[in-house]
This record gives sequence, structure tokens and C-alpha cells, in this order.
Amino acid sequence: MMKKQHLLLATVGVLALGSSAYAERRHNGLADDVAVRHRRLLVKGRFELAPLFESTINADFRHIVGGGAKLEYHLGDMLSIGVIGVGSTAIDTGLVKKIKPTLETATDNKTREPSLTEFESHLNAMPFHGAAYVSLTPWYGKLAAFSQAYVAFDFYFQAGVAFAQLTSSCDKSVCSDPTPGKSTMGAMGDTIPPDNNPNNDAPLNDGSRLGLYIGGGIHVFLSDFIALDLTVRDYAFSDNPSGADFNANLAVTSDDSRFLNHIFFGAGISIMFPTTVKRTN
Amino acid sequence: MKRLRMRAFHRSVVLLLGLTLVVSSALADNKGKKGGGGGGAGSGSAGGGAEPEIEIDPADGAGSGSAGGEIDMGQEPGPGDLNADMAKADANAAAVKAGEVKKTPLSWKDILVVVRKPFLKSRRTELYPMVGTTMNDNMIRHYTVGGELNYYLTDVLAIGVEGHYYTESFTEPFDLVARQARRLPTVNKYNWSAALDFHYVPVYGKFAVLDRKLITWEVFFTAGIGAGQSEVVPRDTKFPGFTNLLIMPNIGASMRFFLAKWLTVNLGIRDYVFYDKFEPTDRSPTMNATADQAKSNADGSLINNVMFQVGLSFWLPTSFEYTTFR
Repeated sequence: MMKKQHLLLATVGVLALGSSAYAERRHNGLADDVAVRHRRLLVKGRFELAPLFESTINADFRHIVGGGAKLEYHLGDMLSIGVIGVGSTAIDTGLVKKIKPTLETATDNKTREPSLTEFESHLNAMPFHGAAYVSLTPWYGKLAAFSQAYVAFDFYFQAGVAFAQLTSSCDKSVCSDPTPGKSTMGAMGDTIPPDNNPNNDAPLNDGSRLGLYIGGGIHVFLSDFIALDLTVRDYAFSDNPSGADFNANLAVTSDDSRFLNHIFFGAGISIMFPTTVKRTN
Repeated sequence: MKRLRMRAFHRSVVLLLGLTLVVSSALADNKGKKGGGGGGAGSGSAGGGAEPEIEIDPADGAGSGSAGGEIDMGQEPGPGDLNADMAKADANAAAVKAGEVKKTPLSWKDILVVVRKPFLKSRRTELYPMVGTTMNDNMIRHYTVGGELNYYLTDVLAIGVEGHYYTESFTEPFDLVARQARRLPTVNKYNWSAALDFHYVPVYGKFAVLDRKLITWEVFFTAGIGAGQSEVVPRDTKFPGFTNLLIMPNIGASMRFFLAKWLTVNLGIRDYVFYDKFEPTDRSPTMNATADQAKSNADGSLINNVMFQVGLSFWLPTSFEYTTFR
């Protein structure tokens, strides 16, 4: 009798366990499934060409504003590789516009105050910049605007290598110190100490730069092959935008350059090729 | 007596065994229906080649209850269980679509996914503590600690109040301008601000993270009117600063991500616009020496203080009930 009881209890226990385990499996039946089925593959296996506009955000001395394009190939639904190039012009910021009217036109080396020409000619510009990057698109979705317009969108994040061409034009008559911060030998064999005036030193803030690039943005798909592309990009590289003495050693040297973030906001229209889309299962 | 107890025990064991088998077969039946095209979340697309997108939440535990294409009026998920509710809504939407597609062969382009909103705000109060930082001032950077208290009149319209306390730090150009251009910058710091705001929610949507987890979100615009206080940072500390009372209208756009029925994450940008008064440039022991004199001769300028704000919102009541069919 006792044996039968135990057998029954064991059977019930096994069945109960089996049921609960089965219920557990059933509850998680879709755990391994994708979030969206029959989804339009708006980027996978497509080239993306985007003419774009870009401008710095919160630049200190000169806004860099320009236009360019990005070309991207989407290896998969989430991963892509691309390049971007932008040609730009430089516009004085509000800070520069406030400083310039207060500067003297004549040079006065005793005050260490730059003249208007010295100040202006030390600032640099960025006529061309760009990046090569890898892009990850972990989020995609759709939204309803005013309960009328239903559009697809995705968020993406990018990282890669930044490059920039910097220019500054300081005339020899302005940047006249051939050996900034260094003593020189005079004609009579005597030592001439440094002039301790950084305003007549060459700015040393032009040339090519390589650095790091990170970015993040959103595609808003207006159709199957056209999307609004909004991005914030950071081109980080060594720079000295003011071209002046940063480390207070009274001379402009390469030590005055430091690793700076150049943050841009970009807006473009992405065109996807081919223009037709496939769907997931 | 002992014998009777044993019989009762046997009866209860048999009853329990029977119940267990019934539950097991019911579960198996449900699973079979789900996989076989009866109507669960995974099968709602049965409609030929033209199919809408079907969203699936891994937390789906209610999808199988709506087999047969009928609208489920079943039990509501528990308070705070946003995922379960979303999964249930999606499953029902799929079931309804399956029924329609059989009758009229619609293109997927003709079908808009208008499922029940997973989060209702109407007649709920939002408590939104937040922190923020300046985005557009390259001399002085402000940090804020503050909050909003909003009441949603409808699901898309709210009225509320906000308040902020400010701290500040000087950025690199503040120092550079003094050393390189030999100019002392004139800056004001902000002490506090408060405003009455109106919020409008025109955009809502959802997105999948790594093709697995669905998250709903929305975009809301804000416009408000308020007041604040700025304080002059004297270029020369021998002279006193002064404060200004500011009229501060503001506009902004923010995003809200729904985590639970009572909790959201918000982030956004707000532009506080005001006319501020700055320290006069000509200040000496004989000119504008006192705070009153300096204030009366202050230079004014229109300022846009653009702030990035982020915080958590807590919603009261902590749950809500739907008043319409799915």
C-alpha cells in the first residue's frame, strides 16, 4: 500500500514538474525569435549616398560650415562601413566678433596684447575634413507623427578615423619671429634672449591631421529609398584653433596643440541603392 | 478511520493527477494552436504574400489566448507590467489583422499598425527630477539640478511647472581669452529659474534594440514662460556684482522612453530665452563702482541658454486602465 502511495506521489510530482517546466518553456517560446517579422530591410545590402550639410556646434573661435557627402555600404542589417568628406568655410564666432573691435590696429610688443592683424592671422580654418568609419545600427523602429504620418527610423553609432586639412595664413611681416621661445646668437657673437612675445610667432596650426572619429545619428525613412539623415559627429585631433600660446611659456610651439573635439551637427538626404527593399521572413 | 483517510487520500491524488493532466494537455493545446496558425502573436500574418510587419515581444505570455481572430477582452496585466501589456496588445493586433486579411486581400502598405497605446498619460501626474548642462556657451558652463511637475489633461497635452538650481564652471576659452588676447570676458552666471510650461506630444513610436527588445518612446514639445535670476561675475573682484531678475520664456523638444507603467526616461533640449544685463566695460573707482551704478549702466543682450536635460519620470497614479476596446 505504501509503495503504491509513493508511486502515485512520484508520478504526480514528475507530472507537476513537467507541467511547470513545460509552462516555463512555453512562456519563453518567443525568447529566441526576432522582434519584428516581415520587416522591410531598409539598409541591408544597400549603398547609401547622402549629400549633406555640416556645421560645428559651439566652436570657440571659428564656426566651420560646409557641405559634402557620405558613402556607406550596409554589410548587414546592423553593420556598415563608410566614408564622409566635407568641404567647409570658416565663420567667426560671436566671441571673436566681440574681441576684434577691442584690439588695436598697431602692434605693441610691450603689452603682449595682439594687434587685430596678429589675432586674426593666427586663427585657423578647416577647408576639408572627413572620416572613414564603421557604423552600428542597433535600434530600428517606426513612429507616428501627429497620428498621421507613419515612418520608419533607425539610430546608428559610428567610430573610425578622422582626417582634417587645416589652414592658417600668417604673413612673414606679422609672424616675424624665426625662433620662437629660443635664444639666438647675435652678429657680435652675443646671445639674444627670446622676445617672449607669442604674438609674432608662427601659429603652427595648419597642415593635415589624423585623429579619432565618433558619431551618432538617426535615419528617418521618407520612402523605401530616401531618408532624412541627422547626425552629431566628433572629429577629434590635435589642434590649436587660436594659434596662440596655450601653455603660457610665452612662445607658440607645437606643445600648444592639444587633442581637441570638433563637434559637428550634420543634416543630409540619404539615397539608398538599389531602390527596392527586401523583407525578412 | 484509518482506511477512510486512505481512500480520501487516494481520491485526492487521483483528482490532482487528473487536474495535472488536464493542465498539461491544455498547455500543449495552446502551444499547438500558437505554432499552427490559429492566431497567436507568431501567426497573425497569415494572409498571403502581402504582409504587414509583425512585432513580437519575447516576454509574450498572453499571445495564445486569442486564437481564432477574436478580440481578447481578457484579464489586464498587473500594474507596472508594461512589457506584458505590449505583448498582449501586439498579439491581439495580429489576431485581428489575420481575420481581416482573409476577407479582403489588403496590401501590407494598406495596413497601419494602430495598436492600443502601451502607456496612457491622460489625467496622470508626472514627477520629473532632472539634471542639465549648458550646450551653447563657450565661456561658462552651467549645471542644473531641478525638476518638473506636470499634469496631463489628455494623452498628448500637459500643463506643469519646473524649477532649477544652477551651478557653474568656466570653460577653456574663458581663461584663453584673458591670457592670449589680454581681454577679460564679461560673463553672468545663473542662480535659479522657474517656469509654467505646456507640453504637446505629437510623435510616438517604438523601436527594436538589437532585433530583440521592443521599446516604446515619444517626442514632446514644450513651451513655457517663467522667471530666473542671473548674477554678474565681476571682472575685478574689487567691485561688487549685481543680480538681474529675468523673464524667461522657453521652448524645447524632448524624448521619453517607457520603462514601466509608472516610470519613463526623458532627455531633451530646452532653449531659455531672456534679456540679460552684463557688467559695463568701463568700471573704475570713480565710475560704476557700486552695484547700483553698474546695474543702471549695464549692457543688455538677448541670450539663448540652450540646456540638455535628462532625468527619470515617475507617474502617478502608478497604473492606468483602458476605457476603450483594444
